[in-house]
Amino acid sequence: MNMLAASTHSIIGRSDRILITGANGFIGSKVVETLLLEGFTKLRCLVRSSGYMTNLKKIMEAYPVGAIEICEGNLLSRDVCRRAVEGAYVVYHLAAGRGEKSYPNAYMNSVVTTRNLLEAMGENGKAKRIVCVSSFTVYSTARLKSGEILDETCSVEDEPHLRGEAYCYAKVRQEEIFQECVKKYHIPSVIVRPGVVYGPGNKGITGRVGLSGFGVFLHLGGSNRIPLTYVDNCSQAIVLAGIKEGVDGEIFNIVDDDPPTSRQFLKLYKKHARGFRSIYVPHHLSYLLCYLWEKYAAWSEGQLPPVFNRKKWFAYWNGNRYSNRKIKALLGWKQKVPFAEASRRYFESEKQQGVNR
Amino acid sequence: MIRVGIIGCGKIADAHAEQLIRISGCEIVGVCDREELMAKQLYERFPIKHYFSDVDALLESAKPDVVHITTPPQSHFDLGRKCLESGCHVYLEKPFTVTASEAEKLIGIANASNKKITVGHDDQFTHAAREMRALIRAGYLGGPPVHMESYYCYDLGDAHYASAVLGDRNHWVRQLPGKLFQNNISHGICRIAEFLTTESPKVVAQGFVSPFLKRMNETDIVDELRVIISDENSMTAYFTFSSQMRPVLKHFRIYGTKNGLVMNHDHQTVVKLRGAKYKSYLEKFVPPYNFATQYMGNAVGNIRTFLRNDFHMKGGMKFLMESFYKSILEEAPLPISYREILLTARIIDNISSQTNAQLTSKLPPS
Repeated sequence: MNMLAASTHSIIGRSDRILITGANGFIGSKVVETLLLEGFTKLRCLVRSSGYMTNLKKIMEAYPVGAIEICEGNLLSRDVCRRAVEGAYVVYHLAAGRGEKSYPNAYMNSVVTTRNLLEAMGENGKAKRIVCVSSFTVYSTARLKSGEILDETCSVEDEPHLRGEAYCYAKVRQEEIFQECVKKYHIPSVIVRPGVVYGPGNKGITGRVGLSGFGVFLHLGGSNRIPLTYVDNCSQAIVLAGIKEGVDGEIFNIVDDDPPTSRQFLKLYKKHARGFRSIYVPHHLSYLLCYLWEKYAAWSEGQLPPVFNRKKWFAYWNGNRYSNRKIKALLGWKQKVPFAEASRRYFESEKQQGVNR
Repeated sequence: MIRVGIIGCGKIADAHAEQLIRISGCEIVGVCDREELMAKQLYERFPIKHYFSDVDALLESAKPDVVHITTPPQSHFDLGRKCLESGCHVYLEKPFTVTASEAEKLIGIANASNKKITVGHDDQFTHAAREMRALIRAGYLGGPPVHMESYYCYDLGDAHYASAVLGDRNHWVRQLPGKLFQNNISHGICRIAEFLTTESPKVVAQGFVSPFLKRMNETDIVDELRVIISDENSMTAYFTFSSQMRPVLKHFRIYGTKNGLVMNHDHQTVVKLRGAKYKSYLEKFVPPYNFATQYMGNAVGNIRTFLRNDFHMKGGMKFLMESFYKSILEEAPLPISYREILLTARIIDNISSQTNAQLTSKLPPS
């Protein structure tokens, strides 16, 4: 028997239709695979273009024909949204804009798309729940002291456009419009906020450990814990958030047990994936550098964009601890893949990608 | 005080807003996008007075003097005409219009309305571009150009990034006659157009789909383009657009009868190419030394410009905006002549029709 079924009273049957947006993405494809493993037989996968389904194709080859229905289109189209949500009982909404350096792109592909999807669900009226996959990035930790626990009760960035990160801005506004629309259309909902999702297929080291691009890797994390969640563990929590009864309206952080410190993670990465030179930047110095960068960006009218600032320092390098008590208590989630095995798989994939590069 | 409105609140509108707030004597009185949420996000992040989802409401309520149109090019003509006929001057993002015939009509409307219009060829106004232009005007080439080479390449990135850009079959870039290259090459073509002396240059274009895109099952997006442009006075130019060539060049080389110049947009360098040769072995020693000192001079100059706080990534856009506003307020000449805008549009039209014919001829018979 699979692990989820043993612990879950599901709000839908195994043959009820489920929609997954962003289904070809790093997390989305793993959510699809987890649902199939759980025995769900009608998955509608929304992808932007059927020509680029690298992740989903592998899954489709391994599972029975007909379990996955591909729905091609962009959530910016209301017609696509109507088509996608038709007959869906549960919606996992993972599609979002990374934005890279563009605020409008991130916003359009996270906020406008979420509004369109929920409007279509409001018209359809059949859904029993939608799960919005958000991110830890929405939290403001400026009021938390170093070492304090960040959990679901912590406040969200109130001025996300000042973080210098398009993704943060888009995710905060996405959650806002999500809450507004589910209330307006009376749609049962859950928000999940994964920490740093890692696993094979996700390249590079998280910025919480440090930054490359300055000629040498600047190690900023030091003894901070990284809110890691392995992609398999994360997708299980997301799936549970969609089907577990009695959790409507809840917000869940997703983070694995006992995440390593930044220093431990970097050491393991260098040993098992690839070696490179790094310099440790002490906390007080990194704070000072972020402060100076922020001030210079303002004074110079953006000659250097404000990508480093105190808000970002608090969010990434303040040195908080993380709790997964709520997903364990309300969703019955248990970490399936321990860190030792998860990191081994990840480092192996990184090593292989390094060889291919 | 110049009252500015922005129509279209996508990625490039951010660059406009960033530069506009640096210009003294101007204010952004309103932004508009038919998706109200997009207008709201721009309004929220910049000092902007109002946001709208209807162009008429922007024009009537905010009453801008100048409207910056930053929408996809398919809407440029209609929006440009509406704004001009409503009594506004217009700054249109590149490409100016979809076709040269639309460009001619729009400039005609601007003239008839006694309003001014310009195009977002801001790369023409970077420090390096202005320095190169000043040298040419001072006679460094020794007369009109004999030959030009313009490289304007575009990095499609890895397959994942490219799929995000190209994955949407209905993306507006795909609806342009020249698709991907049409949205990019006007910066590189206008550099050539600035110096051409004929109104109808001869254009020979060769375009193809790169193996990189073919592997992604793309068959109709030309991302490799080589063009020869010549005018009746025997001035010639090569233009190169490539998504695969490394480094990703944005160079302009111009040669006269006496000397030449090389401008590197990304490095913001201008290097003089001395026409006369040194005697004997000196030719092996002196020119490399000269190049080294020139590059050192460029590096020091760039650092100085940065320290003067005058080296913003989109600084050329600010210069173009200020020049355009000056031309409005003081009846000064336009920063970009209508002739240059039209020549650029005609050359791109010509390239698109040739590459589309080449693609059609390669299709299997139906």
